[in-house]
Amino acid sequence: MEAVLPSAEQPRAESYLSGAIWGWLTTIDHKRVAVLYGLTALAFFLVAGVEALVMRVQLARPDGTVIDAGTFNQLFTMHGTTMVFLVIMPLGIGLFANFAVPLLIGARDVAFPRLNAFGYWLFLFGALFLHASFFVHGAPDAGWFGYANLTDRYFSPGTNLDFWVLALLILGISTLITGLNFLVTIINMRAPGMTFMRMPLFVWTILVTAILILLAFPALTVGLILLLMDRFYGTHFYDATVGATPLLWQHLFWLFGHPEVYILALPAFGIVSEVIPVFSRKPLFGYPMMAYSTALIGFLSYGVWGHHMFAVGMGPAAESTFAATSMLIAIPTGVKIFSWIATMWGGSLRITTAFLFSLGLIIEFTIGGLSGIMHAAVPIDLQQTDSYFVVAHLHYVLFGGSALALFSAAYYWWPKMTGRLLDERLGKWHFWLTIVGFNGTFFPMHFLGIAGMPRRIYRYAPGMGWDLWNMVATISAFILGLGVALFLVNLVLSLRRGAAAGGDPWQARTLEWWTPSPPAEHNFDRIPLVGGRDPFWGLKHGAQEPAVAAGAHGPMLEAAPPDAIHLPRPSFFPVVLAAGIVLAGIGMITRLEAVLLGGLVVLLAIVGMGFERSTCGEGQQPATPTDRGLGVLDNRKVGVWAFIGSESIFFASLLSTYLIYQGRSVTGPGPADILSVPLTSVSTFVLLMSSLLMVLALAATQRGDARWSRIWLLGTAGLGALFLAGQVYEFYHFYHQGLALQTNLFGQTFYTLVGFHGAHVTVGVVWLLVLASGSLAGQLPARRSLAVELCGLYWHFVDVVWIVIFTLVYLLQGVTGP
Amino acid sequence: MSDTADPRSGHPGTRVYLAVAAVLTVLTAIEVTVFYVEALQPVLLPLLLLLSAAKFALVVMFYMHLKFDRAAYSAIFIAQLFIAAVVIVALMVLFAVFLGGVR
Repeated sequence: MEAVLPSAEQPRAESYLSGAIWGWLTTIDHKRVAVLYGLTALAFFLVAGVEALVMRVQLARPDGTVIDAGTFNQLFTMHGTTMVFLVIMPLGIGLFANFAVPLLIGARDVAFPRLNAFGYWLFLFGALFLHASFFVHGAPDAGWFGYANLTDRYFSPGTNLDFWVLALLILGISTLITGLNFLVTIINMRAPGMTFMRMPLFVWTILVTAILILLAFPALTVGLILLLMDRFYGTHFYDATVGATPLLWQHLFWLFGHPEVYILALPAFGIVSEVIPVFSRKPLFGYPMMAYSTALIGFLSYGVWGHHMFAVGMGPAAESTFAATSMLIAIPTGVKIFSWIATMWGGSLRITTAFLFSLGLIIEFTIGGLSGIMHAAVPIDLQQTDSYFVVAHLHYVLFGGSALALFSAAYYWWPKMTGRLLDERLGKWHFWLTIVGFNGTFFPMHFLGIAGMPRRIYRYAPGMGWDLWNMVATISAFILGLGVALFLVNLVLSLRRGAAAGGDPWQARTLEWWTPSPPAEHNFDRIPLVGGRDPFWGLKHGAQEPAVAAGAHGPMLEAAPPDAIHLPRPSFFPVVLAAGIVLAGIGMITRLEAVLLGGLVVLLAIVGMGFERSTCGEGQQPATPTDRGLGVLDNRKVGVWAFIGSESIFFASLLSTYLIYQGRSVTGPGPADILSVPLTSVSTFVLLMSSLLMVLALAATQRGDARWSRIWLLGTAGLGALFLAGQVYEFYHFYHQGLALQTNLFGQTFYTLVGFHGAHVTVGVVWLLVLASGSLAGQLPARRSLAVELCGLYWHFVDVVWIVIFTLVYLLQGVTGP
Repeated sequence: MSDTADPRSGHPGTRVYLAVAAVLTVLTAIEVTVFYVEALQPVLLPLLLLLSAAKFALVVMFYMHLKFDRAAYSAIFIAQLFIAAVVIVALMVLFAVFLGGVR
């Protein structure tokens, strides 16, 4: 039985793609945001591709003279940074997850549509900011990993790395927001009946990816903040001459960096897990094991970062541990590969371009995985480190294991996005040129690495035995480029005269294909009630229809469409807010006035966003029963808890830095000379009591007692301000006792840790004052008590962080670090 | 000023909040006292960590309402808190091994 439901079910609104430029600037529709991500990432894919081709031309023959060493450094740095942060991650998450996840889970949008748009604009402006470096004093040139001390102001005095540090901080905020949004969306916005074990595998992979983003990015953020302080404020967090160690950067970076590999790969695995069953005309083999292995990969990926650092000599115990965990992660990855093969086995295969690219990923990623296991063995890794063997491995993982799936997803979901099919003949040319070009470029690099060719060299002497394979790699890179050019031609031709796709061109299994192509702005007229996995397949082929008729499992859809579907209005605040942040970043490099102006724009945009909706702090739970396994949760509360959890990692990284460097200052004063326990005990008491007033404020608001709500809110803010005053006094006092930020390791770690906590308290005080003002204006009735509760959660978190800092920094001052 | 919160919220009332504040104050006072008692220096580290953990748990359970709210909120927070603790311990151990030899 063929599908008849899609077009019949969705007659209400015009396509999400229609509309003028202003509509795109202010859009918060997840599908439009996805398209914006896609266009931007595609543009940067071309930039990164051109950078790669220039490098390959330089290396095609010995003694290359096309570019100089400095330019080569800039190109490989920008190629890596661009591909990771501006291409693969935004294509996997920004484009495909943004477009597909709400449709796959039967939702009308993501949990926080305005934050979604804000994440995109921040991504765009951050990317443009990074590339603006080309037109100033040259692009960043210390590699995408930015190892200390290459990044020190002494060794890199230009603005190259200033752009890199600031851009990555901006892009990190964008990614964190996106991860948070998807976490809440998937936890809380699934259609009734869609339990975790009924979610499409792509949604599973995005859920784990979102968790990884929240866990991994704070470590990078801390590493970048320390680097920023080194470069802008004269500290020496990574300078061995003052007792610090450059290895701190490596640990913080790879704490982020290896989970990042799976942040890039997991969405790709999810795509393959959607494509293979559809074109094998079979359900996914071993769904539970696929879901568990996704979660296990996410968990293990956080414990393998040290395998990037075997060459630094961490000691046999640490190296053995990281070797073991790195080999362990091959098990859940192997589960996935076997499940994909088993899904195809015995299936009625349709060899479409989308299927071919997914099949290509299975083969190429397996090759990359095998060389990855070699790197997990310390003795072998020591031979291969910094050789072209690693370049081969990482491209088999990141291009073979990610980019091929992104192409697969493009062919698979393009018809849903645009309503038009891509040309299959051109698509197959694209596929074969890609496979030939990719393997021709990167497989010879295994040989080059084994033959001793180091990575990141801009030229080599003749007679090293590297000439042939370098020439093969360069020619193949152009074949790969030709494949990408054909893909672009295919996109353009499809938009101009592609065949109409219809609602379900692939005879697919999941809910997005139930909507017309392209979908309406609100996605679904009636929210589906999910009774099993592959709900659209069941809907089409009658697997669940008898149950509907018998009333055994309830209806498949909401009984009737609601009279009016309320979608959030467009907003221009996301783009303004993002512009303000980037303006402040530009000011860091140019003029202080721009920082202040950017800060003002940010403040106004946040206030504007806060007052833009009349429902701030009111519950927005669906009225329909939600059998999703978790009961009714509030989006904003889930979001704040997830944010607080991520902040825990941020402070854990800062605290680790303090503890690692404790007792390693080569000059005084030290903690015992300067810290005052009596004074700080009073500050601690003040902050603890502010938490008491905060819960009293919440209780009063929930009772509808506006007067006491205001009194307690102002009291909390007052105690917070008193705590800050104590901190200012303490800093002033320490400064006059000879402890400046740059004095020694203790000074820089202490001021950074305690200062960032103080900044969090300041944000909390402002938030409390805004709530108190709202209460005074009669805008904080009992039904909006959630607004106070969310602020309270943040405030108490700041309090518990201080409990830890008070103990570890002030009371344990005599206990030295490792 | 009423003694109880809105019963629909499931949150405790003022008396519980005041009792928690009193316990937090006492624990802080014990922490500071322990810091100055010479005889307790050998067990200063575990003792202070224990007291700090108790204060942390009280705030999170009662003021942040994890004891009374849905388990999903606890799961989200505790999972990330666990990773945060692992980060601190792992980095401390790794640097203890690495820097121990070059101190």
